[in-house]
Amino acid sequence: MKTIKLLLVALLVSATTTINAQTADEIISTYFENIGGLESLKKLEGIKMTAKVNNGGMEIPIEIIQLKSGKQMTVINFQGKEIKQGVFDGETLWGHNFMTQKAEKSDAEATAIMKLNANDFLDPFIDYKEKGYLVELLGNETIDGTETFKIKLTKEPITVDGIEEADVSYYFFDIDNFVPIAVQAEIKSGQGKGMTSEITISDYQEVDGLYFPFSMTQGVKGQPGAPITFTSIELNPVVDDKLFEFPEETASENKDDNKN
Amino acid sequence: MKKLLFTLALSIVLIPIYSSAQDSKSINAKNLFGDLRARHIGPALMSGRINDMETHPTNPRIIYAGTAGGGVWKSNNAGTTFNPIFDDYCQSIGAVAIDPNNPDNIVYVGTGETWTRNSISIGDGLYKSKDGGTTWNKIGLENSEHIANIVINPKNSKEVYIAVLGALWSDSEDRGVYKTTDGGVTWKNILYVDKKTGCADFAMDPDNPNILYASMWEFRRTAWSFESGGDNSALYKSTDGGETWNKIHNGFPEGKLGRLAIAVAPSNPNVLYTVIEAEEDTKKGLYRSDDAGNSWKQLNNDFGITVRPFYFSRIVVDPKNPDVVVKGGLTGSISRDGGKTFKSLGNMHADIHDIVFDINDSDRMYVGTDGGVYRSWNGGTTMEIVENLPLSQFYHVSVDNEEPYNVYGGLQDNGSWYGPSSSSGGINARDWNSIGGGDGFRVLRHPTKKIIYSEMQGAANVWRFDVEKKLIKTVQPLPTKGYAKLRFNWNAPMATSTFQPDRFYMGSQFVHRSEDMGDTWTIISPDLTTNDKSKQQQEDSGGLSMDNSGAENHTTIFTIAESTLDENIIWVGTDDGNVQITTNGGKSWTNTSMNIAGLPQNTWVYHIEASVHDKGTAYAVFDGHTRGDMTPYAYKTTDYGKTWINIISKDVVGFVRNIQEDYVNPDLLFLGTEFGLYITLDGGNIWSKFTKNMPSVAVHFIDLQKRTNDLVMGTHGRGVIIIDDISPLREISSEIMSEKLHFFKTKPAVMRDQGGFAGNFGSETQFVGRNPSRAAQIKYLLPKRHTFGKMTMEIQDLDGNKIASIGPGKSKGINIVNWNFTIKQPKVAKGKTFSFGGFTSPRVKAGKYKAVITKGKETFEHVFEVVYDKHSGLSDQERDLKHNTTMKMYNMTQELAYLVYELDAIIDVSKDKKKLTSALNTLKETLVITTGDNYVGSAEPQLREKMADLYSKIAGSYDKPSSAELENLSIIEERFNAAKTDFAKLKKKSKFKDLQLKTFDEFINE
Repeated sequence: MKTIKLLLVALLVSATTTINAQTADEIISTYFENIGGLESLKKLEGIKMTAKVNNGGMEIPIEIIQLKSGKQMTVINFQGKEIKQGVFDGETLWGHNFMTQKAEKSDAEATAIMKLNANDFLDPFIDYKEKGYLVELLGNETIDGTETFKIKLTKEPITVDGIEEADVSYYFFDIDNFVPIAVQAEIKSGQGKGMTSEITISDYQEVDGLYFPFSMTQGVKGQPGAPITFTSIELNPVVDDKLFEFPEETASENKDDNKN
Repeated sequence: MKKLLFTLALSIVLIPIYSSAQDSKSINAKNLFGDLRARHIGPALMSGRINDMETHPTNPRIIYAGTAGGGVWKSNNAGTTFNPIFDDYCQSIGAVAIDPNNPDNIVYVGTGETWTRNSISIGDGLYKSKDGGTTWNKIGLENSEHIANIVINPKNSKEVYIAVLGALWSDSEDRGVYKTTDGGVTWKNILYVDKKTGCADFAMDPDNPNILYASMWEFRRTAWSFESGGDNSALYKSTDGGETWNKIHNGFPEGKLGRLAIAVAPSNPNVLYTVIEAEEDTKKGLYRSDDAGNSWKQLNNDFGITVRPFYFSRIVVDPKNPDVVVKGGLTGSISRDGGKTFKSLGNMHADIHDIVFDINDSDRMYVGTDGGVYRSWNGGTTMEIVENLPLSQFYHVSVDNEEPYNVYGGLQDNGSWYGPSSSSGGINARDWNSIGGGDGFRVLRHPTKKIIYSEMQGAANVWRFDVEKKLIKTVQPLPTKGYAKLRFNWNAPMATSTFQPDRFYMGSQFVHRSEDMGDTWTIISPDLTTNDKSKQQQEDSGGLSMDNSGAENHTTIFTIAESTLDENIIWVGTDDGNVQITTNGGKSWTNTSMNIAGLPQNTWVYHIEASVHDKGTAYAVFDGHTRGDMTPYAYKTTDYGKTWINIISKDVVGFVRNIQEDYVNPDLLFLGTEFGLYITLDGGNIWSKFTKNMPSVAVHFIDLQKRTNDLVMGTHGRGVIIIDDISPLREISSEIMSEKLHFFKTKPAVMRDQGGFAGNFGSETQFVGRNPSRAAQIKYLLPKRHTFGKMTMEIQDLDGNKIASIGPGKSKGINIVNWNFTIKQPKVAKGKTFSFGGFTSPRVKAGKYKAVITKGKETFEHVFEVVYDKHSGLSDQERDLKHNTTMKMYNMTQELAYLVYELDAIIDVSKDKKKLTSALNTLKETLVITTGDNYVGSAEPQLREKMADLYSKIAGSYDKPSSAELENLSIIEERFNAAKTDFAKLKKKSKFKDLQLKTFDEFINE
């Protein structure tokens, strides 16, 4: 009986050592190597992703722009009208109100979080040590029927509803090719607070020598998510900085609209 | 000898690997479930049993609830709502503790509920989270079964004490107080009494972590009795961190002791309270010490303090006031004079197990009961229930064949209920109907009539409820001349017949059969149990406190199944291990339990499933946990019980409660165990645990709805859980696993017209069960996850014209993609505001369509059928009229969009021509809204809005267009034609010959 126990222990130990043979650091560096190289990624200045989201039969064209400086926006097109969401100019986070179609600032806490994440262009794992982030390999987990390495990423603490909380997310790297295929995190605010969000990632395709996921499905863990598929990804797009600025003068915008 | 053992060990480890490798037919489904996900429908209105409550020491918004059978739930809004955080692990919780030194991150969970009723589940060890409950690791004490307390040294996180109650049903050496000094890496048992005595309560002096109190309890349960108390029950104190222990009984009653509670007043560590279960009733009750345990004085032995010590023994002292004391109990009691007198807590569900005070305001209390968590804002006088904890503990579940089908079942301490499998806006608390009181157990719908049978404990009442006429009658079998006293199980079996709709079976020690829905009964068997008299002494049950609730009734029939292929074949299983069969309608019975190899004698027959594929085939599952045997047992016979083969594989963890056979594929079986659902695709060679949104909860009963192929589970702690349409599992074989992509067969998809009003009031804080999808579902199997390269999916008509593009699933295994029968919404003219009608996507016509998946360079096609909903009663001509009118307006909307586009383009280049632009703008103002906003600042609707609204009204209706709608259409059409003529004139006038415009098609498809 003792021998069986010993043998089992030996098996367990050998299983853990295979996990430990890969460190979080190695997994992340292999990942960057496999998608085209960290140096090339770091050379990028911006990215523009175009997609059509199918929401219950309604097809909505959207465009996501992210720049190295942290500036970003999502542009949604409804009936020829552009609605901007999650626009960040480095200081102010804002979006259009759906009722009035006017620009409104996001709350201070959301803006502060966006500022903290401004240095996460393309991937929070780029230079994660320099940014003071912590990574930890927690072990293996099956996602979408596929074995993965589960890596915990801890960024700077954030303040939500007046209370400071850790900013933790869990990345699942496919053990065969080392690219992340899912990200999970606790939902921090809103009605879903306390639930776990899950994004699954696929359709990695090459764009100018680098690999990007062209498909993501977003939702709450354990429930069907909403897929988004990018029709194109453009690197280093030319974008007018003014597009990120919060339009203080709403009156002039009205005038503009009347002309159309 | 050692060598031999080693080889033996090797072969034990290797045999299963070889055997599964050899059998090429075996399929491991573990990673193939993909998008097959469980859906929880509750109910939460009666919630379920809570074992332990915990507050965060510095953040009053955070509360944890450790539940008896539904895992750990965490609130971050001061108890308004809770989220489950422990789904992957054992759902029976004894204790939750937060490290006071690192309360945001370090949380411990001790599994195994501790209020030791008969229906209690078991734990599997101690868990620790380092991230506030997001991820968990088991850190030991695997054999503890029931963990009563976890106490962390507030000055040293590495020092943790665990009170292990230990095994309830058997001897065990894994009991007593355990201590770690390295944060849970190693453990030392620092207080052990004997194999029958565990630690029931534990406390630490808030000022001096070396001062500890431990209450040790001698106890034992069997299936037929309960014993609380003995010479070894005692209250101990240590002043050296657990190195040495002394009894502190100065002032205690003489003789044997039972379960003792211990609490230290947080604001004055000299004040201790204990509740004592003693031999003499007058000596039972609350005792207080004002000198840290040196002496004790009895203060109170009211009913509320002494009631059922095994079920209620928690004492909680107000963190700010040593004289405010709360005691768990039937109603819960609160004292504000240091324990001398008590009054009941406010009205709430009975059976109060734990109470916590808010860290800042003692008026705010959270109370854990048999019916969920309650909050009080006024010191426990008025209680309000938390409405989003679906913790209902089902003993049984069944379904009918209505549309949507209903789910029926009985609950621990919470009556019997039925509710729909889908409802407008989700399945709400108000959708559930009460169908019996007391503890609810089995509920069956009459096979053809709107009549429901339900029961309460021990068949004390069996109700026959006529749902339509609202008439209730009790129909339980009564004592019969010439027969012994009837012995009904607490959870007495009932059954109906496929052949005779009015036939109704009940089981005591005899099988009772009625042919008139319970009005007259005939006993059709001898006593089918062992009739072991030593297991029939329930009036002596309880130990120091008599506890003869009926829950321990034994040597009874527990399961009855009439074959669906032959009404003369009836299978019966008893709680003392007999598997009986008659093949002649009860004239003679054969006990086949001797033929079951590997099964210990007298192991509880929990369920027998008569096969629908073959008369001689049946499945039986056995549960030995009430004898301390946690082994899973499931057997199959193909020869009427003459021989039985074991169909459990090494993959199954947890004793078995139920088995369900598929109606189509005889090799597809579902197994309900104490730790979740297992599925086999090959008749039991390999079982795979199903974990897709499925907690590791005890599955007490499984039913399969024949029309929808939905697997419906009655869980003991997480309510009803459904897996919609399990039919893809029938097709999975090694052959289809070798295909690059395999489409599963699907039934024609119905474009449902039926709707309803959701009225989502209260859904902010109430649990709402998710509805099944109403979309057309395209289901396919991928042998490997798609991660690299492009993969897209289109719905096309049979000629290959694109109708919709949808994001396909990429998971290994089963993928399910929803298409809601629509083409994309029309392109709408650009205006100042949105035209909400224009967001409507019209449905396609009924017929055949193709799903086309492009994966890399390969394409895969699957033809499927879409049909109309019969309920709306439209003829084919009416369907055509509806479709054609809708599409006419869809096209008109797009034409208008193009016209406005052209008009805008001309205005853009005609800025110098004042007269022309003014005429164009005047025309435009009649076509689209050019001012206002999307809410109350909206402008007068124009042609675009009127057109889109009518389009949306017609497209969204189940009915054919009405004459009013058609008349309205002709007005809009006229106005549009006039606008077209006006625009043509202006366009001609503008004389732009080389204006670069998109074509209509370019514009629509951009």
